Formats: sequence, structure tokens, C-alpha cells
Amino acid sequence: MATSGNKNINAKLVLLGDVGAGKSSLVLRFVKGQFVDFQESTIGAAFFSQTLAVNDATVKFEIWDTAGQERYHSLAPMYYRGAAAAVVVYDITNQASFARAKKWVQELQAQGNPNMVMALAGNKADLPDARKVTTEEAQTYAQENGLFLMETSAKTAINVNDVFYEIAKRLSQAQQVQNPSGMVLMDRATEKATSSSCCS
Amino acid sequence: MKGTFTKNFNPLITFEHKRDTYGFAVRPQHLQRYREYSNIYKVEEEERSDRWEDFLERQAESAQSPVNGISEEEGNAASHTEAKIQEADTVVEKTLQEGDTIVDKTLQEADTIVENVEEASSGSKSAAEDPVENVPEQEEASAEKDTKMHKVQIWTHIRPSLISIEDMMSFRVKKRKNLLNEEQGVGRKNNLSVIEEERPSKGAPEEDSEDEFYDMERSDPVQDTSSLDNVNSSSGGDAVSPEPFFPWKVELESLVRGGVPMALRGELWQAFVGVKARRLDGYYHGLLATEVNAQSDKDFVSASNGTSKGSNTGGRCANEKWKGQIEKDLPRTFPGHPALDEDGRNALRRLLTAYARHNPSVGYCQAMNFFAGLLLLLMPEENAFWTLVGIIDDYFDGYYSEEMIESQVDQLVLEDLVRERFPKLVNHLDYLGVQVAWVTGPWFLSIFVNMLPWESVLRVWDVLLFEGNRVMLFRTALALLELYGPALVTTKDAGDAVTLLQSLSGSTFDSSQLVLTASMGYQTVNEARLQELREKHRSSVIAAMEERSKGPCVRKDSLGLASKLYSFKNDHGPLTKEANAAEGLGDLQTNGDLCPLELIGDTDADSLPDLQEQVVWLKVELCRLLEEKRSAVLRAEELETALMEMVKQDNRRQLSAKVEQLEQEVAELRQALTDKQEQERVMLQVLMRVEQEQKLTEDARRFAEQDAAAQRYAANILQEKYEGAMASLAQMEKRAVMAETMLEATLQYQSGQVKAVQSPRAVHRDSSTVQPTQEPAQDIPTRKISLLSRPFGLGWRDRNKEPIEGNINESGQSTVTLQKDTNGQQ
Repeated sequence: MATSGNKNINAKLVLLGDVGAGKSSLVLRFVKGQFVDFQESTIGAAFFSQTLAVNDATVKFEIWDTAGQERYHSLAPMYYRGAAAAVVVYDITNQASFARAKKWVQELQAQGNPNMVMALAGNKADLPDARKVTTEEAQTYAQENGLFLMETSAKTAINVNDVFYEIAKRLSQAQQVQNPSGMVLMDRATEKATSSSCCS
Repeated sequence: MKGTFTKNFNPLITFEHKRDTYGFAVRPQHLQRYREYSNIYKVEEEERSDRWEDFLERQAESAQSPVNGISEEEGNAASHTEAKIQEADTVVEKTLQEGDTIVDKTLQEADTIVENVEEASSGSKSAAEDPVENVPEQEEASAEKDTKMHKVQIWTHIRPSLISIEDMMSFRVKKRKNLLNEEQGVGRKNNLSVIEEERPSKGAPEEDSEDEFYDMERSDPVQDTSSLDNVNSSSGGDAVSPEPFFPWKVELESLVRGGVPMALRGELWQAFVGVKARRLDGYYHGLLATEVNAQSDKDFVSASNGTSKGSNTGGRCANEKWKGQIEKDLPRTFPGHPALDEDGRNALRRLLTAYARHNPSVGYCQAMNFFAGLLLLLMPEENAFWTLVGIIDDYFDGYYSEEMIESQVDQLVLEDLVRERFPKLVNHLDYLGVQVAWVTGPWFLSIFVNMLPWESVLRVWDVLLFEGNRVMLFRTALALLELYGPALVTTKDAGDAVTLLQSLSGSTFDSSQLVLTASMGYQTVNEARLQELREKHRSSVIAAMEERSKGPCVRKDSLGLASKLYSFKNDHGPLTKEANAAEGLGDLQTNGDLCPLELIGDTDADSLPDLQEQVVWLKVELCRLLEEKRSAVLRAEELETALMEMVKQDNRRQLSAKVEQLEQEVAELRQALTDKQEQERVMLQVLMRVEQEQKLTEDARRFAEQDAAAQRYAANILQEKYEGAMASLAQMEKRAVMAETMLEATLQYQSGQVKAVQSPRAVHRDSSTVQPTQEPAQDIPTRKISLLSRPFGLGWRDRNKEPIEGNINESGQSTVTLQKDTNGQQ
């Protein structure tokens, strides 16, 4: 759910993707600027928050970093429900993780917020030699499905902030189109109404 | 016994400063608080070591007689053959433990001694058991290359002082197994329990003690209801004295709540989980041995991976799937922990692999890696395996399975409890749009590992494993919300609320407070209550699950229809009515939805017409949407009230601004007033001074006047006197003139007479007449003078003193004249 008031946007963002794709590492890089070789497995989900300034708005991200294992899938709706943005992460060195990412995109398109800003992040771009998913393949898929693609590396910090910055930019633009003016409370109410009728 | 306690935890404390006593990393933001608490932990640890020691000593005394009685008779024969195997065992163990920091050597030594004693006590049973256990192990050791760790898998029994606890807890396990047996006599579990049932027949004494504990268990009110049912079905040894055990368990419970000493934790946890009763000889090795066979299958299995969904039939297929996940998670389990080196990770891999093979319906689930890692830090590998089996199969049955249904059910149950206990907090969280389950879901799934500081995690685990169910999860979560609810209510948006709850719970270093709040404050949250609530929610979770597993196509269709219905509904009646209707429907659904869903599940979906299916979906959708609508209405109301509040606040702000202004004015006026008052006061002072001066001058004037009057008066008097004197002077002068004239006259007369008759007799006669008798001898001339001078000599002398000489001369003259005068008068 995204809410605006005096150009302050609170945006719920969810990270989805296969085990070990690097969801937690991406968030950790974005929020704390850190990277560890072995990030502890995420159980259930972990929460972070980070604020970004874009153009004339500040976007406060409420980030839910979900667990990657298939069976934790059943808990995911709880976290992506009402999310204003999603980052679907795959590992460019792992074709299966790309397949999994596609599934996530499908699910979000079917059950998520229709106005959701979706990003596809091909992580581990610092390992080009082990690449299994080509940029073209991913780019084609992203274009077909109205996502934006970025190949990232949590390890070297390439494109990590850019993904979130791009999302923030799109959110603030969408916000301006949706409600050029008006009261905060009204926005919230309508937002709630739309989100409750479109996702479970 | 105490010696081993202290020896055991001292070396552990000297880890690098960024890791805690257990070797786990402490987050940098918590380092300070951890240091503050580490001393408290140390004190607590010492206290509880003493308490446990005392308890176990008393325990040993009461248990001594029966145990010894058996061991001495039966054990002796067996112990000779036993001893050799044991010795070999311990040697291998010791050498390997040296490289392994996880388990302390002293503990191991104590254990092996314990083992001996225990083997002896259980007599013939262990004689049959041990060779079986050790022989295949040695075979493996020679067969495989990574032999090293395999020998560490050696099963160790726990120390004898804890055996009575173990027996008590083991019984719980057996009861459950029997239950399972009765309910579902299919599959592998059946085999397990068959073997399980055979075991008691080996040792008669064991069965005796079991019956005793059985009774004790039954009389325990904390136990779950399902066990009570079982008691009725097989109440064989009812008559055996249950009394001595009852107070004993209560004491144990309070001890557990106070925490388990580090040195005993591993063994006590095994005892709590009932490892002894769960264990099947060679089962663990058997599971691992299949690895070799599986490896050859792998190549063609990998081709079909991903398609099978962890069902019982595709055991080998699913194998590959979790294999990769385990590999991925091995380095991601407590990364950097000193004990999880290469060997430690190998042990972890074997443990998780064995479990996945043991229970393919669960396989491997993230979170188990942390549990297994934690258990490996506390106990030998096979012991850890059976403990893990106990936790996942029993305590968390259905939690980590493919669908994770129980986990979702528990979150709904928790939400109910939270709503009941903390309505204010829930209201606020609803307002912010935060679901409690977002945060508590991970808490439950990880059993608080990595969510709380380690000391607190272990304390929660102590109680949880002891109680044998998930009640402690709920109690702890409620306690945390109780502790941090007041802070959460002050948050302004969802992000802040979640961040705050995460960081506060992450720094819950006061483990005793947490455990006591949880176990004392929420006694009413018990297994029976939870089961009741779980039943209530389970159907809806399953329904949602089924719904999701259907393709998105069906869902979209139903969504369209449902939204039409929704808008149709929307046009009618007031909100309250709708809410009621929704509730009614919700009830209907929960009662009725199982039937249609089962229908779908049982019969082939293709044979059913789409219409019926859609009707079912419609119903579900409708209910869901109505529910959502209700929550939306609630939210709208909340927002309205929030708006009102804001408006009020706005008004208040204006008013307060005005009030401030007015207050300022008042203050200014007051200031002016005081200024004026001061001026007045000053004026008054001046005035008074002036008055005083006036008075002074007046006085002075009066004095002056008085002076003047006095002077005038004096002047008058003087004047009068002067006048008097002048008058008398004039009189005198007159008299003097008169006297002179008279004198002249007399002189003239006398001279006339002398000339005629000169007789001295006249003078003589005169004097004799004046003083005839008194002073005849007196000088006549002086007397004459004094007599003459007296009448006016007095006044003369008073008024003029200066001219005395003159006067005397005059008086000399005047005496003459007086004489003349008197003479003249005479």
C-alpha cells in the first residue's frame, strides 16, 4: 500500500525469489551497505525499512524479505498482499531460479495489486563466467510482462540502489497521476478499497 | 557433579568478544547490552547449577534403591563383556572429541562413566543392544572415506541422575506412538512402533518404572487432553503408587522454568524429548547408509527432479530436491560459529539428510538447519538426530511439511489470543495496517532462533521441550507483546511498528523476565485451549490452500462473479446488517465448506460440472469479500475517528494559539501593572519622605516659635523689670532729690540753728531714743549709718551692684541725708 502526504510516500515492497538467489543480500546491501558471503537463511520473512529521496518526493520503503524455499510460498501472500512494489530476484547463474522468478511474476500478476511496480533483478552479476540466464532472455521476458529488469550484484553493489531508486521514481510518478491533490486520509481510504478488492 | 558443571561452561565463556558464551555472533548493536547481561547470566547460571545439583542429588537418593537392586543382580554378568566394548568406544570418542569443540571432553568422560553405570543397570537389554550398535559403525568407518565424523555419531546415554526424568518423558513418547498406531496403521511409522513395542519386552524392570511414571503423567493437569484419552484405554498398572512422583514433577517444572544449566542442557533436552524411547538401533546409520545406493540413482533421478512434490511414493525423487537446499543452507547456518567447521558442517549435512529420509513428507525445511545446528552444539550426532525427530515429528507435527498448514493455523490462533488479550494494541496495529502474523510467523517457524538473544532462545526451548507442545511459543509471543505493546502503540506507521517490534524483541536480554512472564502470566493459554482454537481455524486455512492450488483461471472467473455479487450486496441495507450477514455466512462457511471441498478433493475434478465448482468458489469468494468489506468498513470508521481526532487537534492547536496570545497579553498587562505598582510605591515613599521632612520642619518651626515666645516673654519680663527698675530708679531719684532737698533744707535749718544755739544734746538725745537699752556700747556713728541705710540700702544693693562703691559713697552721703531725713521726720 502506498500512501502520499506532502510528497512522503510509504511503500510496502516485497522481495520474492528462489532459495539463495540473494534476496536478503540485496536488501542488506541496499539498507545497510553490507555484504557477507554467507547470509543466514531467512526463516519466514525479515523486515527492513529504508528511505529514498527521488525528485520531489521521499519514499519510505517497508521491505519484506521473504524466505525462498518453495514451501514458504504459502506464507508469501501475507507479505505481498497490499504491496506497492515487488522485486523478483533470480540468480543469473541458475536457470531454475529464473523459472521460479517467472512463477512469482505470474502469481503477482494474478493475485497482487494491479498497480504494483514490479522489478526483475538478476542477481550475482559479478559472476559472468557462471552465467546461465542471458540478459536477452530476461529482457525479453521483462518486456513482455511489463517489468523492468536490472542485473545486480549485492556483492559489488552494482545496480542495487538503482533498482530501488527506479521503483521509488515510478511510485512517486504513479502517485502524482493517481492523486494530483487531496487529503491523506482520502487517499488511504481509496487505496485500501482498491487493494482489498483486487487481492486476497 | 559440580566439578563437571563448572569445568564445562568455563572454557566456553572465553570466546572472542563478538560472540556470546555459546559461540553465537552477537549483533554489534547489542554488544553493549550483552556485556551488561553476561554477568547476570553467569550469576544465574551458578544459582541454577546449585539448584539442579541439589534436586538431582535428592532424586538420586530416592531412585537409588530400585536401580541398584536390579543392577547388582543382573548387571554383573553382562558388564564384563560390556566393558571391553565400552572402553574401545570411549577411546575412539575421546580422540575425536579433541578436534571437536562442540562437546566438552569432561562431559564426555562423565558420559562414558554414566554409560557404564547405565548399561549395567539396564542389564541384559543393553548387552543385546550394544554390539549391534557398534559393529556396523566400525564397518562403516572402514568402508567410507570421511570416516572421521562417523565415529563421533556414537550414541551416548545421558547421565544416570537424569534417567528418571528421561523415563518420565519417554513415556510421553510411547503414548503418542501408541496413539498413532491406533489411528493410522499404515506406512513406516507403523514399523517404528512395532519395533518400539518389542523393546519393553527385553527388560522387565523398565516396564515397571514406566507404569509408575505413567500414573504420574496422568495426574498432571498440564498434560494435553489426547493423552488422557489414552490413559483410559490402557490403564494397566493403576494401583502402583503415584504419590511420590507428583510433587517431584512440579518441582522439576519450576526448575525448568528457571532455566537448565548449560552443562546439563544437552542431556536434559534429550530426556525431555524422550530420545531413549524414540531411538531405534541402527536406524540412523541405516538412513545414512542408503546414501551410497542413492548416489548411483542420482544421475537419472535428476532428470525428473522438480516435478514430483515430496509425496511418500517419490522418496528418492524428492531426495534430490532437498539435497540441493541442504547444501545451500549448510554454510548459511550460524556462519562463522567456531564449532561449525568442516566436520561440524558434515555432521549437520548427515543429520539433515537423515531426517529428510526419515520423514519424506517433511523432507528438509529451512529452519531445521538452525535447529539441527543448535542440537549438534549440545549433543552427539545421533542424539541430536533423535531430538530433532522428536521436535519436528511430534512437537511441530504439520509445521514444516510442504503446505505448512499448522504454522498458518497457529498464526490465526495467536491472532485470536492477541485480540483477546491486547485489544488496544491490535486496534492500533489494525489502524496502521500491520498484521501480527507478519512478525510472529517467523518467530514461530524459527522457534525464536535468531529472533531473540541466545540466552532467551535457549530458555524458551528449555520450557518448550519440557512441556512437549507448542504452548510455550504462544506464551512467549504473548509475553513479548505484553512487554513491548506499550511502545508499539506509540508508533506512527507500519514500518516503524514492525521495526520497533523486531528490534525490541531482538534485544530481550532479560531471559528470566521473559520466561517467567510467559509461563506465569499466560497459564490459561494451554494445550486444550489451543487445540480448540486450532480446530476452529484449520478448515479455513485448508480452504485457502486448496483455493490457491487451483489455477489462476478458475480464480479469475470466480473473482468476476464474486465482485458482481459483492457490488450487489453493497447496494443493500446499512452496514451493520451486512456485517451480521457476513458473520452468519462466515459461520455457514466454516461449518459447511469442508463438505464441498472434500467432495472436490475426493472425486475427480474433471467429472464435476464447472457450475458446481464455481458455486463453491463463489461461496468462498463471497465470504472472503464480505469479510474484507467488513474490515474495510471498520478501517473506514477508524480513519474517520482518526480524522475527527486530527480535526479536533487542529482546533485545539488554534485555540491553544489564541490562548497563548491571550496569555501573553495578560502577562504584558501584568507586567505593566507591576511596573505601575512599583512606581506608586516609589512615589509613596517619596511622599512619605517629604511628609517626614515637612513634619520635621514643622517641629523645627514650632520649636523655633516656642523659643521665640520664650524669648519674647523673657524680653517682656526684662522689659518689665527694666521698667520697674527704671520706675524705682526714678522714684529713688525723686526720693534722692527729695532727700537732698530735705537735707539741704535741714542743713540749712541746722546751720541756721547752729548759728543760733549750738547744743550737742540734740544728737545725743536722738541716739538714746532710738536704742535706749539694747546696744549701749555700740559705736554710735556706724549704728547711725546702718539704721539709716537699712530701708533703702537693700533695694539698692539688689538692683545695682557695680556702683556699690559709688553707692557706699553715696550712702555715706545718704546716711548723712538719712540722718537728716530721720531727723527731719522726727
